[in-house]
Amino acid sequence: MSPAAAQIAPLPEQSGPGASRPPLELNDVSVMIGGQGGDGTLTVSDLLGRYFRKRGLYVYTSRNVLSRIRGGHADASVRASRDPMAAVKAQVDVLVAFDNEAVEMGKVELSSHGFILYDSTTFHIAEPHSAGFPFATMVGGSLGQPIFKNTAAYGALSVLFGFDPAQTRAVIEERFKRRGGDALDKNLKALEIGRKAALGTPGVENRYSIASGEAHNMILTTGNQAVALGFVVGGGRFFAGYPITPATEVLEYLQRYLPPLGGVVRQAEDELAAINMVIGASYAGARAMTSTSGPGLSLMTEGLSHAGTAELPIVVVDCQRVGPSTGQPTRHEQSDLSHLANLGHGEYPRFILAPADPVDCFELTAEALNLAERWRVPVILLLDQALSQNTATSPRFDLSKVRIDRGKRLTPEAVAKLAHYKVYEFASDGVSAYAPPGTPGIWAEVTGNEHDEWGHVSVNPANRLKMMKKRMEKLVHARNELPSCRLFGPLSARVGIIGFGSTSGPILEAQRLLEHRGLPTRYLQARTLWPVPVHEIDAFLKEVDVAYVVEHNYTGQFARLLRETMPWQYTKIRSILKYDGWTFRAPQIASEVKGVS
Amino acid sequence: MVQSVKPVQPIWCPGCGDFGVLAAVKRAATELKIPPHDFVLVGGIGCSGSIHNFLEINGIHALHGRLLAQAVGVKLANPSLTVVAAGGDGDGYAIGMGHFIHAFKKNVSILYIVMNNETYGLTKGQPSPTSELGFEGNVEPPFHSVLTALSIPAPNFIARTFSGDPKGMTATLSEAIRFNREGRGFAFVEDLSPCVTYNDNYKLWREKVLDVATLPDYDPTDRKKMFQLCLETIESGRIPIGVIHRPKALAKDGLEMKLVGDGPGPVRADIGLDANLAAYQKLLAGLT
Repeated sequence: MSPAAAQIAPLPEQSGPGASRPPLELNDVSVMIGGQGGDGTLTVSDLLGRYFRKRGLYVYTSRNVLSRIRGGHADASVRASRDPMAAVKAQVDVLVAFDNEAVEMGKVELSSHGFILYDSTTFHIAEPHSAGFPFATMVGGSLGQPIFKNTAAYGALSVLFGFDPAQTRAVIEERFKRRGGDALDKNLKALEIGRKAALGTPGVENRYSIASGEAHNMILTTGNQAVALGFVVGGGRFFAGYPITPATEVLEYLQRYLPPLGGVVRQAEDELAAINMVIGASYAGARAMTSTSGPGLSLMTEGLSHAGTAELPIVVVDCQRVGPSTGQPTRHEQSDLSHLANLGHGEYPRFILAPADPVDCFELTAEALNLAERWRVPVILLLDQALSQNTATSPRFDLSKVRIDRGKRLTPEAVAKLAHYKVYEFASDGVSAYAPPGTPGIWAEVTGNEHDEWGHVSVNPANRLKMMKKRMEKLVHARNELPSCRLFGPLSARVGIIGFGSTSGPILEAQRLLEHRGLPTRYLQARTLWPVPVHEIDAFLKEVDVAYVVEHNYTGQFARLLRETMPWQYTKIRSILKYDGWTFRAPQIASEVKGVS
Repeated sequence: MVQSVKPVQPIWCPGCGDFGVLAAVKRAATELKIPPHDFVLVGGIGCSGSIHNFLEINGIHALHGRLLAQAVGVKLANPSLTVVAAGGDGDGYAIGMGHFIHAFKKNVSILYIVMNNETYGLTKGQPSPTSELGFEGNVEPPFHSVLTALSIPAPNFIARTFSGDPKGMTATLSEAIRFNREGRGFAFVEDLSPCVTYNDNYKLWREKVLDVATLPDYDPTDRKKMFQLCLETIESGRIPIGVIHRPKALAKDGLEMKLVGDGPGPVRADIGLDANLAAYQKLLAGLT
């Protein structure tokens, strides 16, 4: 392969660095790799991510896939930055395209200094700032299989970015050493084919240089993996679920993690079975959880109501996607909140916790198990597609942040000293002590019907009033034990931003953009969404002139909850909304936040 | 002695077939010496589902149709418990049908008793999945649970009893619970339990029931033969009762034995951080 075979678009002298120019240094780079499902776009993203992490950069990767097994357009994006970040970059610096569709889809996001590197085996483009190499033909000829074209593209990218050759190679070794056969050997050869093609190509070699960073001894993980690990260390030992995008990985990780620890994981026949198995396990005394997304959540609603009335502690993870109905299974939204806050027929207490990043997912999942058992209520962990599935550089998870609090769980010794055991005994905080079945000397009736303290079905109006108060007032008694908000930005700022979940990533970035524009902001990341932490958010709203609630839905669901619970703050609350299936990019948020004159 | 919840008087009509089941469960529990604290009865929704309120026992009043899923959760979380799920034909064969089929596949060692009265008694006599053609305008053919049960190739215990034969019922329930307690898998017993108010079939069923054990070809370990015997019995206008399937092997095939075995299981596991520290550290160190 000679460089002459490459399709190099002309490089106008006045724009971008050419071979004779110094490389353009990037502290924050984003690469999008697009093609057909099966082209290996994810592999390129993974290899780049590994390299960037070796260089101490923060990495964030996302995928754009369709709900099908093979084929269709698919792209993967990787972003690397010296500064901590957890969001998709607004523009693409380098687009890697395996087909023309990927060029058409990706070029609209290309930055002014951006570049397109494409596989010219089957198509050519006339875009400025682009280079095509027939990767598939090149590797097909020497390695016999065009599938190695993705590794060849990685090789060419390493030249484009001026990567260190030894570290570039080390990444391939890391990634493929455990694969059987000649996978490592062929990928190393493909890497060299791609590198050689790009080396010496004007406008390609050392076009950019990538900064190094300080993000060492970190991990790259997803919210779903963090939830699974948080469940394990929080003492979760029973999990039942039904596969559904974007929640399935929680089930898959736990199928790996739990059995060696004596836990039980089942894939149920549907979400109705999953939540009821979890309810049964909770009744038996295990810490139990299920995970799902919108359509599954609808089916679990009757189970959540049952757990609420029967006062059985369960944790339900909702990895939100675009709804309603089947919606867009692989896309991002935060539109289940209104449903969850009012979930079910009848009234019962529930807590909704919203982690924002992997560490938060890990710690809040463990804490959700405590809160469920301490208060004997269902707890919902609210994630969203981006948090569930995008990978982010994260500090290592810290076991010292985890505690086990079994609330008023009775030991057999404590039971033996009781005069009576009433499973729904009235208590000042609404929480009755619990002893699971199998505790010698006692037995109990647990029911979703209204009941008296013994668990006997009751239609007595006076009892009904007392039981409703017992359950509902947990929302008040628990208030100070629920995860608190996090605040970012100077106290003096007059403009507030409120958000939750993965939206935190782009909001924190938007704050920096606004700061540069001379508009300091203060951001409240809500971690308990229900009961609405009025004491915290009202105090926050008092300190600002206006607050923008940033969320991924049409109706401004969190803003509505805030207005409903704090009507006196009605006029201060504005909404910044996005519901096209994509996550917020920081500049969009920054452009919608206005100062108050 | 700690005071626990006391049983209440049954809500059933005098003469209800469910009294027979209640009595048989009590006798079986006594015979097998199951202490009340180790015995969990998961009730469904409907007249029959209230059975747990009438026993000195741990009871869950489950959601309509979901009792099997809850019972499976209880048993997998703590296999040392004896778990019985009990409900009606609407609960099990209509709203709960998905879980019903899967219970055979899962083969968790719990007993499921369906009190089949061929009607929805509590809501005043609508046709149920097992109602005969013509009952209250029913135009759909009745569902035969034992034929469906036999069609799933799992080592389950399958039987049908009749509330008019309390002795036979007690023997069958005892065998089924023993089967569970040996970790051998799922046991299903359908009891023909007449609704004296909306579908009083005592007389009719007494004439129609046929204990398959009295048939010359009877072999409850032979699934194919038993399917044929039951189908022929039904087609001849009779109702097959008795033990319909009993696996030949004495293997501990219950799912809880495979998942938990001799281990403590999810409830009895020590979930303290100290007890698991090494395992957790290893798990977290695996993240890169």
